[in-house]
Amino acid sequence: MENVRRKIIAAGGLTAFAAGFSQTAYRMWDKVLGKDAPPSRFYGDAPAPEFKVDTLTGELALNPDQQVSYTGCLGCTTQCGVRVRIDKRTGKVLRVSGNPYNPLSANPELPQGVSVRESFVALSRFGDKGLDGRATACGRGNAVISQIDSPFRVLSPMKRVGPRNSGKWEPISFEQLVKEIVEGGDLFGEGHVDGLRALRSLETPIDPNAPELGPQVNQVALMTSVNDGRDSIARRFIQQAYGSINFVRHGSYCGGAWRSGSGAVFGDLKKMPHGRPDLENVEFAIFIGTAPGNAGNPFKRTGALLAKERALGKLEYVVVDPLLSNADNRASRDRGRWIPIRPGTDGALMMGMMRWMIENRRVNTTYLANPNLKAAEAAGEPSFTNASWLLVSEPGHPREGRFVRGSDLGMAIAPELRYKDDDPYFVMGADGQPLQADLASGTAPLELIDASIELDGRPVAVQTAYMQLKANAMRMEIAQYAADCGVPADTIVALADKFTSHGRRAAITGHGGMMSGSGFYNAFGVVALNLLIGNVNWKGGLAINGGTFRHDGDGPRYRLASFEGQIKPGGIPLGRNVPYEKTSEFAFKKAAGKPFPAQAPWFPNAPGLTTQWLTGAMEGYPYRLKALIMWSVNPMYGIPGLRAQLGEDFADPRKLPLIVSVDPLINESNAYADYIVPDSMLYESWGWTAPWNGVPTRMTTARWPVIEPRMDKTADGQRIGIEAFLIAVSKSIGLPGFGANAIADAEGKLHALDCAEDWFLRGGANVAYQGKAPVPDASDEDIEASGVSRIRERLENTLSPDEWRKVAFLYTRGGRYQAHAQAQDAEHPEWMSWRFKDALHIYNDNVGGARNSLTGKRFNGSPIWLEPAFADGTSMRSHYPENAWPMLAISFKSPLQNSYSIATRLRNIHPENPVIINTADALGMDLHTGQAVWLETPGGKRRCTVLVSPGVMPGVIAVEHGYGHRELGARAHLIGERQQPQKQQLAAGININDLGLADPTYPGRSVWVDTVSGASVRNGLPARLSLA
Amino acid sequence: MQTHIVEVINMPREVAWLPWAVQYFFLIGLSVGAFLLSLPGLAFGRSKWRNASRLALLGALVCGLTAPVALLSDLHQPGRFYHFYLYMNATSWMAWGSFFIPLYLGGLMLYAWLVTRPDFQRLADRGGRWAPLYRRVAYGGLSSTGAIRAAAGLTGLGATLVALYTGMEVMVVAARPLWNSPLVPLQLLVTAVAGAIGLVLVLERAMGIVRVADTRLLNQALAASQFAALAVGAIWLALGLFELSPSHVRALAEVSGSPEWRLTAAWAAAATLLTLALALLRSGHGLLTGLLAMHSAWMMRWTLFIGGQEIPKVGAGFHAYHLPLGQDGWLGLFGTAGLWVFVFIALTSLFPWGDARDSQMT
Amino acid sequence: MNEDTCSAARRSFLKALPVVTAGAAVPSLGAQAPGARHHWAMLVDIRRCIGCQACTVSCFMENAVPEDNFRTIVSTYAVEQLREGKKEIGTFMLPRLCNHCSNPPCVPVCPVGATFKQPDGEVVVNAERCVGCAYCVQACPYDARFINHETGKADKCTFCTHRLQAGLLPACVETCVGGARLFGDLNDPHSEINRLMALHKDELKTLKPEAGTHPNVFYIGLEDEFVGRIDGEANLWRPTAHGA
Ligand SMILES: Nc1nc2c(c(=O)[nH]1)N[C@H]1C(S)=C(S)[C@@H](COP(=O)(O)OP(=O)(O)OC[C@H]3O[C@@H](n4cnc5c(=O)[nH]c(N)nc54)[C@H](O)[C@@H]3O)O[C@H]1N2
Ligand SMILES: Nc1nc2c(c(=O)[nH]1)N[C@H]1C(S)=C(S)[C@@H](COP(=O)(O)OP(=O)(O)OC[C@H]3O[C@@H](n4cnc5c(=O)[nH]c(N)nc54)[C@H](O)[C@@H]3O)O[C@H]1N2
Ligand code: SF4
Ligand code: SF4
Ligand code: SF4
Ligand code: SF4
Ligand code: SF4
Ligand SMILES: [Mo]
Repeated sequence: MENVRRKIIAAGGLTAFAAGFSQTAYRMWDKVLGKDAPPSRFYGDAPAPEFKVDTLTGELALNPDQQVSYTGCLGCTTQCGVRVRIDKRTGKVLRVSGNPYNPLSANPELPQGVSVRESFVALSRFGDKGLDGRATACGRGNAVISQIDSPFRVLSPMKRVGPRNSGKWEPISFEQLVKEIVEGGDLFGEGHVDGLRALRSLETPIDPNAPELGPQVNQVALMTSVNDGRDSIARRFIQQAYGSINFVRHGSYCGGAWRSGSGAVFGDLKKMPHGRPDLENVEFAIFIGTAPGNAGNPFKRTGALLAKERALGKLEYVVVDPLLSNADNRASRDRGRWIPIRPGTDGALMMGMMRWMIENRRVNTTYLANPNLKAAEAAGEPSFTNASWLLVSEPGHPREGRFVRGSDLGMAIAPELRYKDDDPYFVMGADGQPLQADLASGTAPLELIDASIELDGRPVAVQTAYMQLKANAMRMEIAQYAADCGVPADTIVALADKFTSHGRRAAITGHGGMMSGSGFYNAFGVVALNLLIGNVNWKGGLAINGGTFRHDGDGPRYRLASFEGQIKPGGIPLGRNVPYEKTSEFAFKKAAGKPFPAQAPWFPNAPGLTTQWLTGAMEGYPYRLKALIMWSVNPMYGIPGLRAQLGEDFADPRKLPLIVSVDPLINESNAYADYIVPDSMLYESWGWTAPWNGVPTRMTTARWPVIEPRMDKTADGQRIGIEAFLIAVSKSIGLPGFGANAIADAEGKLHALDCAEDWFLRGGANVAYQGKAPVPDASDEDIEASGVSRIRERLENTLSPDEWRKVAFLYTRGGRYQAHAQAQDAEHPEWMSWRFKDALHIYNDNVGGARNSLTGKRFNGSPIWLEPAFADGTSMRSHYPENAWPMLAISFKSPLQNSYSIATRLRNIHPENPVIINTADALGMDLHTGQAVWLETPGGKRRCTVLVSPGVMPGVIAVEHGYGHRELGARAHLIGERQQPQKQQLAAGININDLGLADPTYPGRSVWVDTVSGASVRNGLPARLSLA
Repeated sequence: MQTHIVEVINMPREVAWLPWAVQYFFLIGLSVGAFLLSLPGLAFGRSKWRNASRLALLGALVCGLTAPVALLSDLHQPGRFYHFYLYMNATSWMAWGSFFIPLYLGGLMLYAWLVTRPDFQRLADRGGRWAPLYRRVAYGGLSSTGAIRAAAGLTGLGATLVALYTGMEVMVVAARPLWNSPLVPLQLLVTAVAGAIGLVLVLERAMGIVRVADTRLLNQALAASQFAALAVGAIWLALGLFELSPSHVRALAEVSGSPEWRLTAAWAAAATLLTLALALLRSGHGLLTGLLAMHSAWMMRWTLFIGGQEIPKVGAGFHAYHLPLGQDGWLGLFGTAGLWVFVFIALTSLFPWGDARDSQMT
Repeated sequence: MNEDTCSAARRSFLKALPVVTAGAAVPSLGAQAPGARHHWAMLVDIRRCIGCQACTVSCFMENAVPEDNFRTIVSTYAVEQLREGKKEIGTFMLPRLCNHCSNPPCVPVCPVGATFKQPDGEVVVNAERCVGCAYCVQACPYDARFINHETGKADKCTFCTHRLQAGLLPACVETCVGGARLFGDLNDPHSEINRLMALHKDELKTLKPEAGTHPNVFYIGLEDEFVGRIDGEANLWRPTAHGA
């Protein structure tokens, strides 16, 4: 007995031993098998370098197994020019860094005349050249390359199985996909679905009672994200060929409020130009609601110049932000400082600074008083403002809030040209009579006392634009402004003092921080502050983008903007970004005696508004959608509050019968799609991109497939993607502008548009030939060294013999670039070359003349401090008071992640996004770092972790964007038989947009947006924390 | 607050010496300690130690044979163990260890053989299935005190070197203030001896051969070892508190702010005091004191190695370690325990360690 | 506006901070092996770091660093400090990597001599010899080493020796967005790194100078609080315990 027991125990011991030591045994076995032999003795698994440079002679030897090519990154919207290193045998991208020719990646950049081989040497240790000549890609840019071979990628067309958003798909052929989408039918066994052919009704109105809405074709819409250099072809498809007005990008939930505020100053609320501090020369910069080097656009160029100039140059800067970020750097000591501010109150700070500047004569009134460009230039100024222009201030006058125009004064202006560009503006003449602004030869008065002019035979009170701004600034004491924004009064004064102490070498800029309930006016104030020191177009001031070499216009070689049979779409866009006063609803309600409120707000001064699209489509206001094409866009993740508002409706085919997505990944939005068409990823795509801003010279980045795209092919051998999809759909319906004879060259000869190359290579010819002289030809050596040999044949086959080497030149350099030295004007070295030459608006009468569509109240035409509010103008706090919602939640860009990079190595560095609260608040609530809490807003509740830090304004909860995913790998989809890998870690953290607010001031589905710009509100959400 | 620092991003480093290392240091320590306990009874003829020493030798063998296997597993390239002998680097204490371990284990086995030879001879003489094997092992069954003492001397040298190298290997790591203390070798030794006493006490119970006199004797020794442990601990603390040694000051600074570490320290002190009290007051009872002593020896090593590695060398705060389930964690612990049990059963099946009355052992 | 108000404004608003020079580092050129051609060193100008981790990720990519391991990282801290009675809050970034010490404590402990200093100064691991005992990992005062679970060997920054030999820069230097990482040869009197080290010689510091390791990674802008182990609140992330 005893013996048996002992044996059993001994056997048990041995078994445990075997289990415990099996790994050791395996490892020993590896040794026997030689599996422990390293590829290299000292260098780990590092692949051989891409080339070698002899550091004595500078001689270059390429590695024949690798390819180094210059193209564009898509790791974020900065779209830097990068150099991609590829293992030729496996096609795998090994690493990415910057393109030294591209100013988004190198400072200063190499002249494009330098040969490709020389450019490689310039990156090496030879003469330590590579240090100053460094061309970089950021951490995200380095990490996102792994998405190319991601297990979560969509490579073949897919059709949903079961209900929408159920995570099950069946792969289908491209041809079946196109057929089903075009012809419709009982596609899912849920009843008939109209296809794109049937939906293209160009004549029948959506609503005969509201003809202004346009034809039914508008009920098919295409939504995309950023222009990744390809949206020319999508716009051509949806608007010019298919005929719908509804094409939109993500602007309204990116930095829409900022762009609108800037558009107000630059006098164009649709295209919304803006400027950036000339970082290479500015001496003092204020970043308010943008975090240079932490996010910001252009992320990398801004970060690089900021770092360089604060360490080696003259730059001093402050970052006004509720949150401390990587925009600060203690080691640079007093060169950069963080100033905390209460969310959504930037307008108070701006108006406080303005008030101090006005009271202390720090406004450059001499500059402001130039009423036109000629007068300004004569006075040595590269820009001018409308500060002296007259506007009607007579209460109740039909032109109240509008500038006085020639037609108002009885000048003979054709009715259709009334209030357009050629209807002149006026200033007050020395004789007390209005003087045509463009004819004034000197300065005009900025301030008038009790002025009036005669309109239609009776005196009407007028004032100058400047007077309105001044009145707005003087509305409150500095101490009151300080109390509202939480920036101490002496700091406001010191800021204003400092800002006005550097002549024109100071500038202020903003962006995402303006996405609050008072965003438009806050941003308007920020941009206008620049005008008060007259820094626009000055070296070291607010610089205008150098612009781009356009590929998609009716260019020097090919006419890509127009074609035979093209449609000019009409009607009201889904985003309601037109005046309410033009609608039938207004007319009916007016006739009934009560024109206001509209059913939901209208945004006459906004561009296309994604923020309104989906809620509006579900409400049927202004109309319903029948089909939606989402191309690489993710509104369900990116728009605060949208998910809760759409809820199950988005999954209901009766509410929106057809959703097609074109995307390389399954994200939170296209998880609801009926079909997903695979698309190319960053280095697989063609395209021509322009910098978002902040580059003073003219440039275009070339994107081309430097690797073999991974997507499946169509029956005729093309890689599936947005281009192949749109072309196939167009051909199938028989749309103009695609297929045979779709593209005319400069001589009028017609060419086919059958594949992506037909479009982008011809666009390339437009790029190459623009300007005074075309670019030179690429040499064989350049083509070889840069891997452009990959596409040489395509170039030769598509383009004319004289064109192809020029376009090849663009690909060898990864784009086309104006010389760095041309940033400043040759004749006026203190002026920037690319100048904004129209009037800068101290007062914008499109804003000042418009009315709130819910209340009928007029908007203010100048910057002003207004509390964050809902659509009817009532303040947020009147709905959600502080005693119930003591905190304000804000969102900020992760310094690492973007919205779709979660499934990359960036996670290793920062796997989650704890919400950040101030030490004092934590003390009050007895919270400590790592603790689980509930974060709650009126829009919802989420469990999260806290991080206690001194680096956030007390009373604020800061949430890093880029986490809290439900898709992109966080949920494993079933595609045919293939189950995607389960990676629960990818769902880590929270997305504050799941907690975004609806607007309680009008009925129906809504998301909270800024009243003027229609931009989504992600900052300053009323919130509270409780222990989880 | 003069400066308040919140670490937002830093390089997390995992523990690189895994629980395998703790097991090795624990087992080799117990083996050496048990070997020392075997000396009075078996090499120096102190008869009151006879029973205890005999069990101690068993303990020394079981632990000594198990330890190197755990050590091997802590290597991430165990198949390359022979590199230790091909490419010896003389500046590394670990390199020396690879020579000391075989020296000690070889000596120990020789010593054990010499000690048990007469008994094997007797077993062989009894006849039975295993008699030929016993005979071969006994190899004449000669009992030579001189030879035993010589072997004990050799093993003692090995044991000293093993104790020295294991202590020094840890002590020289200046990067870890907690390790970088001249007291560490001493602490390791004292707790090893205490643990070995505990092991013998437990073996007594496990093998059902409890004798009050032996238990008393062992508890007395245990009490002495706990005094020693307290004394060394006090010196350690004093060196830190009175800023007599910079590395102690740093070590103290690293851990003193942490509630977990304070708890650990209190626990260790309490366990030592309890062991001491029980050993003195209930000296006739051995199981509890024995377990306590072994627990202290284990805990000391766990805290030193795993706890020590939880303190980042450049980052802030601590890296919490959670014992994983797999081979590098619980499964590994079970594996080693299994091996230990197997060796124990094999040795005790082969040879009647428990019964010293009719043994020829001196 | 006159010059005085100007500079007064500058002074009052962006108050200059005292310059801390304690613990200044001097490169230990003496530790050079005879006959060496190069003495590689890195100079990190922390003022130019934006914490973008381009270095970290490019190093992953270049050197196939396994998940959850790092050869370099840029530690990032939120710091609140009382200076002259005023509360100042800022971000401190600290790029960390192997210092390629002139007196490297990781080397003598290696039982099999697998890790050593190359003639040009790089401290490397011979992967053909390493037994993965992790003793060097313990001995490095900078947490610069780790066990690579894919290879089973000690791993660390190599200064991208393979790239240096090809006449190129290390991956992290090549793609440093802020231009904070500078690299070069201290034996070359004309090198950029020598020029900059001379220019900043009073501000140069190294990490843990008291450890006597004589690092070859030098810093401009390194604050005293960050020279050694950080006395502060730990970040939340933990390594995924191997085997867990
Ligand atoms: N790292 C990284 N960089 C990126 C991107 C990314 O995803 N990650 N995305 C790119 C894109 S698409 C864009 S549009 C740009 C955007 O770049 P930014 O506009 O610079 O970034 P955001 O994080 O949107 O907002 C900037 C700052 O506003 C602050 N803020 C929030 N509320 C307020 C407020 O009420 N007032 C003030 N003054 N500040 C406030 C936030 O704390 C944040 O630091 O970044 C680009 N670069
Ligand atoms: N709370 C909060 N919300 C925000 C922000 C914030 O800071 N905080 N930021 C806002 C800003 S600035 C912006 S711009 C928006 C961005 O939001 P969106 O413009 O909607 O889109 P993204 O999520 O950037 O990317 C869209 C999709 O593109 C696809 N994609 C990824 N890589 C590639 C590729 O290589 N090729 C192709 N063809 N497709 C690809 C992915 O499926 C991804 O989901 O989000 C906004 N929302
Ligand atoms: S800034 Fe954006 S585009 Fe540029 S390298 Fe980084 S991720 Fe790519
Ligand atoms: S930093 Fe660490 S790993 Fe690098 S040489 Fe110094 S001691 Fe060795
Ligand atoms: S892990 Fe490798 S390099 Fe490090 S000490 Fe052990 S054998 Fe040497
Ligand atoms: S030098 Fe090379 S190995 Fe070292 S941190 Fe930089 S990239 Fe990594
Ligand atoms: S790449 Fe340069 S700027 Fe970016 S984190 Fe690394 S050291 Fe800092
Ligand atoms: Mo954006």
